[in-house]
This record gives sequence, C-alpha cells and structure tokens, in this order.
Amino acid sequence: MGGPRAFQMLCDCHRCWHHALGEFELTSIAWQGTQLASINPIERLAEMTGSKWSNLNHAREYTIARRIELQQALAGIDTDDTSIVVFGSLARDEASEGSDTDWTLLVDGISDPLHVNSAQEIERRLILAGAIRPGPEGTFGSLAFSHQIVHWIGGEDDSNANTTRRILLLLESKALGNPAAWNRVLDNILYRYLTEDRGIWDRQKRRAVPLFLLNDITRYWRIMVVDFAYKQRARANRGYALRSIKLGLSRKLIFVSGLLTCFTGYLDFTDDQWFELSHAGNPQPLIDRLRSVLNMTPLENVATRLARYPHALESAKRLFDAYDEFVGLLADSGGTQKPPRDHLEGLPVDELESDKIFLHAQGMRRRFGEALHELFLKPGTELYELTLRYGVF
Amino acid sequence: MRLIGFSTGALARADFRLALFELEQTATNSVELSALRFPELQPLLESLSSLHLSRYQYISLHAPSNFQGNQELEAAALLKQFAPASWPIVIHPDTIQHFEIWRTFGRQVAIENMDRRKGKGRTANELREFFVQLPEARLCFDVGHARQFDTTMTEAYRMVRLFGDRLCQLHVSEVNSASQHDRLSFAAILAYEQIANLISESIPLIIESRVGTKEIESELTNAEKAFRVHWVPLSRATQAV
Repeated sequence: MGGPRAFQMLCDCHRCWHHALGEFELTSIAWQGTQLASINPIERLAEMTGSKWSNLNHAREYTIARRIELQQALAGIDTDDTSIVVFGSLARDEASEGSDTDWTLLVDGISDPLHVNSAQEIERRLILAGAIRPGPEGTFGSLAFSHQIVHWIGGEDDSNANTTRRILLLLESKALGNPAAWNRVLDNILYRYLTEDRGIWDRQKRRAVPLFLLNDITRYWRIMVVDFAYKQRARANRGYALRSIKLGLSRKLIFVSGLLTCFTGYLDFTDDQWFELSHAGNPQPLIDRLRSVLNMTPLENVATRLARYPHALESAKRLFDAYDEFVGLLADSGGTQKPPRDHLEGLPVDELESDKIFLHAQGMRRRFGEALHELFLKPGTELYELTLRYGVF
Repeated sequence: MRLIGFSTGALARADFRLALFELEQTATNSVELSALRFPELQPLLESLSSLHLSRYQYISLHAPSNFQGNQELEAAALLKQFAPASWPIVIHPDTIQHFEIWRTFGRQVAIENMDRRKGKGRTANELREFFVQLPEARLCFDVGHARQFDTTMTEAYRMVRLFGDRLCQLHVSEVNSASQHDRLSFAAILAYEQIANLISESIPLIIESRVGTKEIESELTNAEKAFRVHWVPLSRATQAV
C-alpha cells in the first residue's frame, strides 16, 4: 500500500499526513470514516468512488523516491538555520522524469556570506543528480530569507517573488533534510496571518475564516493568472500550451487547496470549540491545526475534504479522474514519439486548435474546471455557501 | 503568592551558597539547586543538611547536563542517597543513557525540553519518546528553550497540550541564538504571555536568567508579569485542534 510506505519514508518530522490525520482523528471532532489514519486520503477517496488513479499512485511513488535521492545528494549542506526546500510537482507528489526541480535554500538565522556558496553547491549537486533547472524568473534556484517572507506581507516590498515564495511555502513545499528552518518559517508566517486578523478573535463570531490568509492566497492565484498573460507577451507565446494546461490544473489546484485550508477554521470546529478558542486568544492551536492540513499535499488536502461529502463523490471522481489523466500526460515518455510535455512546451499558438494532444489536455482542464464548479458553486452545499461568502467578495 | 524563584546556577554558577545568600533578601519562595557540572553534584548534595532552605516552599535539583563514563550511574546513586524524595530532579533528556536507573525515581524525575543545539528533546514529538521510556516522569518546561526553537510558541503549545498533566515546574529566561540564558526582553514577555493561560498558577516559576544581584527583583517582576494571565485549562477547543 502506498500510504503506509510513504509514511515510513516521510515521517521524520512527525507532521506527515498520516500523523496529522491520525492525531486529528483522535480528537473530539467527528470525522466520517475510520480508516483515515492508515490510508492515504487519495487512495481512500479512490476506494470510496470506485476509482483507480494509477498515474497519481505512480507519481507519488516516483516523487517520494526522488526526494530521498535528492536529499542524499544534498546531504551536509543544510543546518538548523537553513532548510533546502522544494516546491512544485516535487512537493505535490506529482513529479515525473521530465519535471523541473524548483528549490530554494531557506535561511532563518544569522547572516552568513557563505550561504551563497551553499546555494551554489546545491545547484552543482542537483545538476549532477540530473535535476532540471527551475524556470527563468529567478523565484527559485537560489537563497530566500525568512525575514522578507515573514515581515513583508503586503506593501511595496512584497514583490511577486516574495509573495510567491511565501504562499508556495504554505501550499506546496517540502524540506529535503533538516526541516528546522522550514518549520519555523511556516509557523511564523501563519502566526502573522492569524494574530493580525482581528476577525478571527472577534468573540461575537460563531466561527471564522482567516481572511488575511485567504486574501493573500487569492491574491497569489490572481498573480498567477495575470502572470500567465505577462509571460505570454514576454516570451512571445513560447511554452503557452503547457502553461495554459498547468494553469487550469496544477496551479488552480493549489488555490483550491488554499481555499479549503482557510475553510478549516469554519468547518472543523463546533460553535463551542470556536468560542473557547477565540476567547482564549491563543493562535497556537490554530497554527498547529493549519500546519497539519498544510502538511498534506494539495491533492491529499482536497481528497480529505471531499471524502466528507457523500453527495459530492461523483464530482470528486470527475475532478480526480481529470487530474490523474493530467499527471499521466506529463509523465508520458512518448515511446517513439516526442513526450507530450515537450510537445506542448514547443507547440506554436497557431496550431493549438488543431493539435490533438493539446485538445486532449484541454479536455482534462475543462473537466477539472467543471468538477470544481460542481463542488464549489452548486447552491445548497457547505462549500458553496463558504465560497460565495468568503471566496468572491 | 505564586511559587517563584531562581536557579542557583543562574545567579552564581557552582557557588550555590552565594546564590542562596543573594536570594535571602528577595521575595522568592522557590529555588532550584543547580549542579550543572558533574563535580558540583556531590558537594551540593552533601551540603544539603547545612543549607538554610526552610524559607522555600518549593525546591528542586538540577542534575548535571553532561556525563562521562560512569558518571550517570554515579550521579543517580548520589541523588538516590541524598535528594529528598519530594524534590523534583531536573534532567536533560540528551544525557540519559540508562533509562532503567531513572525509572526507579518515578515521578521525581522531571525531563526538561531542550534548546536548538540539541538533537533530542526539543519538540513535543521528541519528548514523547522519553516519556515512553520514563512513564512516570514529569516535565520541566523551559519556555526559553521552546521559544528559541519556535518563536510563535506553537511548539510550546504542543508540549503543554500533550504533556500538561506532567508539568512540574517552568524554567524562565530568554534564550539567545547562542543558547545563553539572558534576561527577559520585551518580546520574550509578550511571547510567554501568549501561553501563560495554558499554565496553572500552581506551577513554580524557576528563573534561569543570568542576572546580577541588583537585577534579581526586576527579573522576578518580569517573570511574574509574563505569567500572570489567568490560567484557562486546556479543554475541548484547544485539545481538539
């Protein structure tokens, strides 16, 4: 079984999904189902919907093995003040051989001019390990500093790159090796979002959604969408097809996962529990709970939530069917043909409408979007009410 | 009045008599007798009967923080012989090689959470394994260590949530990036105030800040200020999340 094996390999920080769900299940909050602690949420949803998402399973196994490989290749570089962090498909358990390696050396400690040497050594070893370089924007593949990420939320200093690093640290990142700095930075980011959000601590409210956090996640999603158009212009349409498909699937998935994470504050507490929490005024229990959720991959997070809605299982199946196909498409080596990923990467925009692979991928994107629409924008459901109330205006 | 006092090691390192002398003029009602280095232990224990300790409502002992060779066994034997059974014995988890001998101390042993330098005992999860080995042991909760590890105090919350029923005493100071125990800063007091409502007022505060004689009173005031928030027992909400 993929779940328990994944647990054994990843549970060094005791914050893996297995730990998070297992601990959470022991609480007074009622979870539907009893097998959460022993099975990966995606596998569980597959069982519930009678599905077999072999591409996701394969990608998960590949990604976990690849992270271990990279961790071994990078041994001895990180410290208690620095974590080597990966993002993207490598953090989402969706990588394949053609995936690039988005990484950063996250510094949370005293200033040391030699940190740049460590970053250069990481790059050297990753190339030796066959890693594909990150994109040309410069957001990844170098140093990142906790002070900017934690202190500069909003305002002129909060650049696209800073926002991207911060939100992706929350929504899709994993530490390779020593997670100490990564853990501290994540806790500190959440601390800011939660303690500076007066609405959470409003004692009159029955429950609350962390709007400061949600608004920044939403802002990031909009940045991605706007940057999609920017890159189209800046790169003269190069790579448009692949970026377009990714935007509607893996990028959108991150936003959905973030949205659901923010809804945790509303959905996972009873009125009494929220009353006690808001009156005690301690952000730590909420940070702890959000970390448990965020420690899951975006897909695991979505699967965990959707498994709670029996009425939504058909839509959930469609959502994951489409995503499974997408992951399979990107992992496809192409046999004697050019891999679909490479094909899409090089596809000229004037051939989009007639290209079979693109049209096939576009179908996945459309079905994924339709399923999301059913799940979040179908009147009368819990997610609809929350999406309408907090996710739009 | 809350149980509050100093570690003798913080005031005068190995010179516990000097530390106790300095504390005589203060409003402290608790003390931790510290023998952080192994050679300090026997002289301290052999002096216990001659020390003026009657003014203290709470007394604990801090065992050495490093053992060589058979010193762990020797220290345990000395503590067994001299230490009153009602005094908690604070030990650093990373020094323990022989769980079986500390197990015989039962509730008297108090495991202290560690700072960032150490590879063990820094987090709730890392402490868990020690409490499995020492099921009766209690917790000496070093809030400075916890904050040095995680400035948001979320790890501190996790420790109290998981091991609050074992809480025996607090170590209070600000632990800097070099893992030295400094005086409480403005930020440290703010941080400790955030978890103060998770700590019962009956739990003694043992200050470990390295201060001079003239600074004892102000440090006592700051420590009391940091933990004066009314205790709200961890209940449904905080335990649930």
